[in-house]
Amino acid sequence: MLMDDRIRSILIVGGGTAGWMAAATLARILKNGYSKITVVESPEIGTIGVGEATIPPIRAFNALLGIDENEFIRKTQATFKLGIEFRNWAKLGHRYFHPFGKYGRPIDQVAMHHYWLRLRQAGHDESLLDYSLSGTAARLGRFMRPVEDPRLILSSLAYAFQFDASLYAEYLRGYAQARGVLRIERKIVDVELRAEDGFIRAVRLDDGQQVEADLFIDCSGFRGLLIEQALKTGYEDWTHWLPCDRAVAVPCEIAGELTPVTRSTAHEAGWQWRIPLQHRIGNGHVYCSRFISDDEAAATLMANLDGKPKAEPRFLRFTTGRRKRLWNKNCIALGLAGGFLEPLESTSIHLIQSGITQLAAIFPDRSFDPSDADEYNRLQIDEYDKVRDFIILHYKATSRDDAPLWKYCGAMDIPPSLEHRINVFRGSGRVAFESQELFTEPNWLSVFIGQGIWPRRYDPLANILPLESVKEHMQRLRQLIRQTAEAMPTQAQFIAEHCRAPEILA
Amino acid sequence: MRDPSNRIRDIAIVGGGTAGWMAAAILARRLIPGGVGVRVIESPEIGTIGVGEATIPPIRLFNQALGIDEDEFLRKTRGSIKLGIEFRGWQGPGHRYFHPFGAYGANPEQVSIHQEWRRLRELGDETSLEEFSLNSVAARLGRIPAASASDDPLSPVFGYAFHFDASLYAEYLRGYSQARGVVRMERKIVKVDLRGEDGFIRALHLDDGQQVEADLFIDCSGFRGLLIEQALKTGYEDWTHWLPCDRAAAVPCESAGPLTPFTRSTARSAGWQWHIPLQHRIGNGYVYSSRFISDDEAAAMLLANLDGKPMAEPRFLRFSTGRRKKFWNKNCVALGLASGFLEPLESTSIHLIQKGLTHLLNFFPDRSCAPVVAAEFNRLAINEYERIRDFIILHYKANAYGDAPLWNDCRNMAVPEELSYKIRQFTGSGRVVKYGGDLFAATSWIAVLLGQDVWPERYDRLVDQRDVSALRDHSQQLRAFIGQAAGSAPTHEEYLARRCGYAHG
Repeated sequence: MLMDDRIRSILIVGGGTAGWMAAATLARILKNGYSKITVVESPEIGTIGVGEATIPPIRAFNALLGIDENEFIRKTQATFKLGIEFRNWAKLGHRYFHPFGKYGRPIDQVAMHHYWLRLRQAGHDESLLDYSLSGTAARLGRFMRPVEDPRLILSSLAYAFQFDASLYAEYLRGYAQARGVLRIERKIVDVELRAEDGFIRAVRLDDGQQVEADLFIDCSGFRGLLIEQALKTGYEDWTHWLPCDRAVAVPCEIAGELTPVTRSTAHEAGWQWRIPLQHRIGNGHVYCSRFISDDEAAATLMANLDGKPKAEPRFLRFTTGRRKRLWNKNCIALGLAGGFLEPLESTSIHLIQSGITQLAAIFPDRSFDPSDADEYNRLQIDEYDKVRDFIILHYKATSRDDAPLWKYCGAMDIPPSLEHRINVFRGSGRVAFESQELFTEPNWLSVFIGQGIWPRRYDPLANILPLESVKEHMQRLRQLIRQTAEAMPTQAQFIAEHCRAPEILA
Repeated sequence: MRDPSNRIRDIAIVGGGTAGWMAAAILARRLIPGGVGVRVIESPEIGTIGVGEATIPPIRLFNQALGIDEDEFLRKTRGSIKLGIEFRGWQGPGHRYFHPFGAYGANPEQVSIHQEWRRLRELGDETSLEEFSLNSVAARLGRIPAASASDDPLSPVFGYAFHFDASLYAEYLRGYSQARGVVRMERKIVKVDLRGEDGFIRALHLDDGQQVEADLFIDCSGFRGLLIEQALKTGYEDWTHWLPCDRAAAVPCESAGPLTPFTRSTARSAGWQWHIPLQHRIGNGYVYSSRFISDDEAAAMLLANLDGKPMAEPRFLRFSTGRRKKFWNKNCVALGLASGFLEPLESTSIHLIQKGLTHLLNFFPDRSCAPVVAAEFNRLAINEYERIRDFIILHYKANAYGDAPLWNDCRNMAVPEELSYKIRQFTGSGRVVKYGGDLFAATSWIAVLLGQDVWPERYDRLVDQRDVSALRDHSQQLRAFIGQAAGSAPTHEEYLARRCGYAHG
């Protein structure tokens, strides 16, 4: 092993959210000039940059960068997010909530939801959400940060953010450049491979300059300039499970109270997101072009905004799926260059984050021992596939049959891994999951119950305590959660006090 | 949703060894308050295996779940503290390494300490990785670091388990269970009655003509699997091609010298020998392959390698390493030796019982024993079983014992793909692959891989961004801290005297 086998230079292609997240992390982790980091971004190519919703692990990412949370919120016009509200998914007129954090606490080592199921059987009709602090606070429009002391119910709150992804990229760009990352604003006109092994040698820019690097990170978006166009990695198409293939997005003005919630409303041929930020609301309609035209999709979106649109609708096309390999030769694909899963569970930024932290854990040298890429691909592919299953569940578990899309989804085959989870839950009220999964018991539970998958049984051990003491315990828990939530400030108050962003003139 | 009257009312546990009474105790604790009847049927004629038994740290969680006081437990089972396992001779005569129950150091830079160590090694630093493990250093000194550092049974930095007399543990748990309403029946089972319609177990016929009906049966009958195999014909997956030892000879001997706070495993020509120090004696056994040595030779080898005078005649055991095709079949759950056999090289026997019970309580059925619940139980439990199997196979595969037919065969055998991937990844970069269901954490794999000379070709390249002098300082500080913490700790004897009134001799 020779010291000069180290990665001396890293070229990140694309300056969107993925590109600058990668640049910022590598600048943070690689110290003492270990590698030279360069980002090439084309001034002509806009970033997708819609309002972006996230999930709680984003906080670990910010912590890794050492970012002050309030500053980050101010800089990105961010709001807090306690979960996702789903409208019209199980059936028309129906609503449910997928809150972050846990539902209550186990009683005698049996998960709380089994007692909830027992009470339901005994005629109670409290909602599962009454046992979630994040969910209850969200319903009341309230927010405060959790505490660490596990004895306090306030420790069960979990949150993420909704922010302007373009501002986030800009913020991280400042962070990365201050730590020595070089930015080149140029278009890439050619990618040059090494003849002997097909590795990427250099990219050629539109001013004739050549940029060489040892490691390339492809953040070029859907087209996958390096991973696909240059390296022909191949793509696994999941459209048969997730048939939506387009989106139209538009920001609008805020009307009413600032809710700490992302909303997803199912329409006839897809669904609409609503992501409230401090300065505007991000909206978008994800749809299936087989069942609706672009014009109709845009009309549906525009007819369902809270306030006045602040721009013309923009259209996106995509194919749901992922690259066959996310690390191929000396190239790693992040973000849309790696694959696409619709933002129904706000996982896009997380998948970028997961890819970068995995790269830091499996950092190669110039020998590019294939065992590094093998392990990276094993872990990342597993992560992608499990998120995929979770998203498919929303489409599969619906009683809607009022439109061709929903008829198709109701009848489609699903991956065996998802089928197994549904069967275990239906048969026993238990959530099957592995220790290292992103989505765990409370997440699956929220969506199972929310979309009408009711278990035939619950844990028989939840029958041990007398019904009266279960009632009492559960009532106390609901009360405690309710009182704790009611004592919190509204999100607007909390933001005003801690992290109000400057107003932006449109 | 089903009528709650479909709930399990009666559970019959077949067999009163360690597995049977562990099951009875936890079920008494968790289920009897809910009105479930628990019976244990144990034959007065059939002895339990009950050799000195070594465990791993999660045993402390089991005792906690029962609400057992650890000091009382140590006293009642003549237990001692275990900080890890010493392996002798696995890489040839005179070679030793230690598998500690606690991580190697701590690193603020998020790079594992073994990666830093690996780099310093390349620069000529000969320090053993064991110097970075509090468990290893304390074990070598025969000292037990302060309990305050180890309140968390699964502490990443320092952990411990126990050696104890398994017969005394079973006896202790029997008292615990009976005091909480478990009914003990000392009878032999002469027949198992299946239901015609679905093949579920209906009742057990005892030798006094009595019938015991139950909704759920727990098979703790040992190797033979009276219910799971003889009655339900579940089938067995044989792993002898990976783990060729098929017999053991066991004998207790008198204690001699200081009470070592670790289990010892010494490689011998046709297998390996365990050494498990208890308060009142030492448990010894030779696990061997009958293809390469006779029972008489094995017993002679064992008797020739004892610390003190033997306290009984050697007893022989036969087994086939492997597992039942299902641990849960119809209304029967198999635990302990009835579910499968893995040699005690990494002291996992009791843990597997414990884990089976945890799963059973997590997936506790109603009387229908829904197949989907049993299937999920089996999927998880089998996966965990196989990951432990892989860890044990590693010791054989990576051996450098020398020229002996058993060891030559093992070096050349093909191993399961999951293991071979793990070895390849470690060899490539020093990275430990983590699978879902892995019991043993990175520390354990690193200890055995490096202990058995599976050497990584590279180290984590991010180590290179730190100055060598910073690495050396960090290494120095860690070693000094560990040396101080271990050196100032009480001896094993002092520690046991304080906790449970142990008096030498």
